[in-house]
Amino acid sequence: MIRTFKAELLKLRRRRILVAAAVGALAFAVITTTAVLLSAEASGSQPPGRGGATLESLGEPGGAAEAFSTGASFTGILVLVLFIANFAGEFSQGTFRTLLMRQPRRIGLLAGKMAALLVFAAAVLALAAALSLVASLAVAPTQDISTASWLTLDGLAELAEGYGTALVGVAAWASLGAALAVLVRSGPIALGIGIAWSGPIEHLTMDFWNGAAQWFPGLLLEALAAGGSADVSLSHALPVLAVYVTAAVGAAAITFQRRDLTA
Amino acid sequence: MPQPSPTISLDGLTKRYGSHVAVENLTIEVPAGVVAGFVGPNGSGKTTTMAMLLGLVAPTEGAGTVLGHPLDDPGSYLHRVGALIEGPAFYPGLTGAQNLAVIATAGGHDPAQVAELLELVGLASRGDDRFSGYSLGMKQRLGIAAALLGNPDLLILDEPTNGLDPAGVHEMRQLIGRLADGSRTVFVSSHVLAELEQVCNWLVVIDHGALVFHGPASELLARSTTTIVAVAERDADLARLEHLLSAAGHDSEVAGGELVITVNGTEPRRLAAEVNRTAGANGIVLVELTPTKTTLEDRYLAVVNGGDR
Repeated sequence: MIRTFKAELLKLRRRRILVAAAVGALAFAVITTTAVLLSAEASGSQPPGRGGATLESLGEPGGAAEAFSTGASFTGILVLVLFIANFAGEFSQGTFRTLLMRQPRRIGLLAGKMAALLVFAAAVLALAAALSLVASLAVAPTQDISTASWLTLDGLAELAEGYGTALVGVAAWASLGAALAVLVRSGPIALGIGIAWSGPIEHLTMDFWNGAAQWFPGLLLEALAAGGSADVSLSHALPVLAVYVTAAVGAAAITFQRRDLTA
Repeated sequence: MPQPSPTISLDGLTKRYGSHVAVENLTIEVPAGVVAGFVGPNGSGKTTTMAMLLGLVAPTEGAGTVLGHPLDDPGSYLHRVGALIEGPAFYPGLTGAQNLAVIATAGGHDPAQVAELLELVGLASRGDDRFSGYSLGMKQRLGIAAALLGNPDLLILDEPTNGLDPAGVHEMRQLIGRLADGSRTVFVSSHVLAELEQVCNWLVVIDHGALVFHGPASELLARSTTTIVAVAERDADLARLEHLLSAAGHDSEVAGGELVITVNGTEPRRLAAEVNRTAGANGIVLVELTPTKTTLEDRYLAVVNGGDR
């Protein structure tokens, strides 16, 4: 597992990948900060029923994390797509075969690769959080938002909590994507299933079944990213998601361990 | 003196996919240090057999050992095995050198070997180019370089000449010859024996998943017969010459306007002279008299086609 972890990191440490990740984190920070801070209005002037940050909430210690957390909640599908493409690509390129001829312990190979990708994702997410804070500090004065409490211990703790929540969400989306790719072994089919399920199928089902939000993985991950919702508490979402992730990863690991690798 | 244990030993190895039998009851031994050609027509089960040796495919039945370790524990021997199977598979966005470094790291080998191996396979000047830009021949050579990581005791190469032009085939053959240094066993497959004939000293021939021949290449060749082909000015004379030669104790047969005389025990040139004398003495004018020796490829085709198993 350690050797596969190091080998995967070699691929990720390439200049092109690092530049792409940094540019992505910067774009994320600029777009989410601009969208969240510039669209914020005073609490009294917001139309009824409209959610999102207000100028008052942004002035509180949690204001530093607002842009990052809001942006992170939209990255789930992107993470799903990236992990499906990465794992399915190993099958289509035949590179799992190449690696297994050198490192035949299949579970270790999967675990090492997954761990390296998650470490990389965590680092990119941390960079995005830091850049979001910097961008928020730069944009806040234009909206007369006070940043005095952002860099206090409370403010930084809120940012760390937002980062932790986003990281759990990314890990869950990543695990589901990787498991789907290993089970299906085809990028296009896995992407079709993943996107269709977490997008239209779950959301359309939610329209006629109230329980959907409490039991469907994509909707639970949305609730998690939002720090809980009116329908789903974090204390419900987290254990149910853990069951989903464990079942998906377990099924993928058993299948990968037993199946002939002929591609 | 005890014989060294074989590098590959298979006992009744079988692989079925539903009702399709890919490999059937394969029992072979490949001694240490030989270059073993694994030959059979396309779809005969060569790749499946190699995939079982590499732990990629689980046998349905049977057992075996590789480098003395059981087939069902590939982790115990794969660090001493280098392989190229089903074509070279690498990350297209990585350079040749980066690909080798990734595989070396995954296999626990020293990535410092990468430059040396690229040099060995003639890719030193292209090591920093992306794999996606390589020609097929370059990809195959990178595959060989990857197989050589860790200086393996056993090299398993699946159709390494596939898709190469004649110059590439020649180059690959020379490379395989260089890799077989006597201490390393090379197990190389092809559906064209002529590509391997010059480098193999051991042969395993399979067809439709079943073993047809295995042993020293010289043993297969020893089964071959040398013939002399005679063509007369008048076709009608061939039957008469056949009769005359038969009376002198030689086997021959008229086929397609030729008389094919089997060389049995006699030195071919002496027999040719005798045939010529006999023909001349009986007023038969020969316009062609050609000794022909069957090649290993001829023997292989005869064996695979069921003529001589």
